[in-house]
Amino acid sequence: MLGFAIANLIGLTIVVLAIQFYSDVRPIFNDEDSFIRKDYLVITQQISGIGSLLGNKAEFTIDDIDDLKEQSWVRKVGKFSTSEYGIYASVGLGNGGRELHTQFFFESLPDDFIDVESSDWRFDPMHPVIPVIVSKDYLSLYNFGFAAAQGMPQISEAMIGMIPITFTLSGNGLSETFPGKIVGFSNRLNTIIVPEEFMKWSNYRYSIQENTNPSRLIVEVNNPGDTKIKEYIDRNEYEIAGDKLDSSKANYFLTVIISIVIAIGIIISVLSFFVLMLSIYLLLQKNTDKLQNLLLLGYSPRQVSTPYIKMIAFINIAIFAGAIAITLIARWQYMPMLKAFDIEPASTLTAIITALLLMSAISIGNSIAIYHKVKSLWIKK
Amino acid sequence: MHSISINNSLPEIFVGREDNNSQVWLSDITFEKGINYLISAESGTGKSSLCNYIFGTRKDYTGNILFDDLNINNLTIRQWCEIRKKSISYLPQDLRLFNELTALENILLKNKLTGFKTEKEITDYFEILGIPEKINSQVALLSIGQQQRVAIIRTLCQPCDFFLLDEPVSHLDRRNNQIISELLTNEAKKQGAGIISTSVGNHIFINVDKELKL
Repeated sequence: MLGFAIANLIGLTIVVLAIQFYSDVRPIFNDEDSFIRKDYLVITQQISGIGSLLGNKAEFTIDDIDDLKEQSWVRKVGKFSTSEYGIYASVGLGNGGRELHTQFFFESLPDDFIDVESSDWRFDPMHPVIPVIVSKDYLSLYNFGFAAAQGMPQISEAMIGMIPITFTLSGNGLSETFPGKIVGFSNRLNTIIVPEEFMKWSNYRYSIQENTNPSRLIVEVNNPGDTKIKEYIDRNEYEIAGDKLDSSKANYFLTVIISIVIAIGIIISVLSFFVLMLSIYLLLQKNTDKLQNLLLLGYSPRQVSTPYIKMIAFINIAIFAGAIAITLIARWQYMPMLKAFDIEPASTLTAIITALLLMSAISIGNSIAIYHKVKSLWIKK
Repeated sequence: MHSISINNSLPEIFVGREDNNSQVWLSDITFEKGINYLISAESGTGKSSLCNYIFGTRKDYTGNILFDDLNINNLTIRQWCEIRKKSISYLPQDLRLFNELTALENILLKNKLTGFKTEKEITDYFEILGIPEKINSQVALLSIGQQQRVAIIRTLCQPCDFFLLDEPVSHLDRRNNQIISELLTNEAKKQGAGIISTSVGNHIFINVDKELKL
């Protein structure tokens, strides 16, 4: 009986703890419930050497995009638009009169996919200022690579908005210079983004080409751990930018490992259930004469089995409480380690309800078995 | 329950035997309420089997046993529990006492279920049967004769239509036999119950209305 109690306590604790840990850790890998951190993949066509030399552009056709939209793992698809005219950027850095000049490019995509919020994120042709969002990587690259090596001042995100930057746009026989403003840095988008309305206006103004197909797509997905994504990407010979899939892989393996752990916990619980059944049967067997005596006196099988069922219920309630207690203690131990990831603690409800269901199932199974065993003593063998 | 009928019954183990001199096996007999029966038997003629069949703990017989007109094979467990509490009071040959409990606890185990006798009546029985000092003794420590008296007191602690007694006085002397017979006769008369008693030789001293040879 003690063996059962310990085995079942271990089994149940493993199940509950695994579920709780999974609920707590999952947001680190995958924040699908959150509106702030969604999962995005940036998809491009693979560039094959010969194809590009022959002038085949690595772009997505309307059919490609429609097909992508129909995939079950896709929530939304956004198209990147590219500037199709010449851009020259100039940055003045302070009194020394030093200036940086560089060729430049712009991309744009629907606002839904942009992870920076700014009141300057708009474009008015009457009072033209070009707001730009750049990848946070660029700032790091400048601060820790370029500025350090060239003796240039390091700049913070807050300072960046004050840097005078101008863009000279040329094409279609025009060449005009506008002031620009870096309004934010994106973790998600590894490029230089301007508002879509500006992109439309400028491409119309400076480009002689018709609208072209996008070469990059951004996809909001349900769960980047979904293996169907990888299959689809491989089948269509696309590529995924960034390390999103790496965290998805980690998430995928987390799911697999937790599933294995839960399965082991359930197996232990089930085995302990049979250990309990065995000990109950032995106990009942040992007391067969006494139980039959009670039946002879007129006690019903229900009355005779009640003390045993009560005992089981008591043990199982104790195990349930023990497993929850151990889980909460363990959680209290590991939560500080997860604090670093800045996540909200998950609810303990799922784990507790699972434990409750598992224990109820075990208790009901035990009780039914006890009752039937007692009933089988009715006729003397 | 007014009658117990045994119709053409035989323990399965006896099937095929030729020498049937029994007045019970393979006959149609009916035990009526309010009448006292003695079933005298030699050892090994199926006396305890008969009691077990009637009390529903064994079913290895051919033919039918009926309570009134109801075949006992069709009774539910719930009905059996009611019968064991209200209709048939059974004294098994092996007494079926709980050895680790005291004499009184054994009796209360039954009386709690039926609520039939007061604690005063029960202690009086101990007095009458000459074992008042054993009331709180563990049953395992009593002699077999004392245990038999405890079991008989327990048999008295329920209402019934029939007393079914399997060798009730096998371990008792004449004096105790006399006392028990009186107790049982009075109790049966009070309830209008019948007595079915078996014996291999040491007969109970009740007024037997009908004797059957098994």
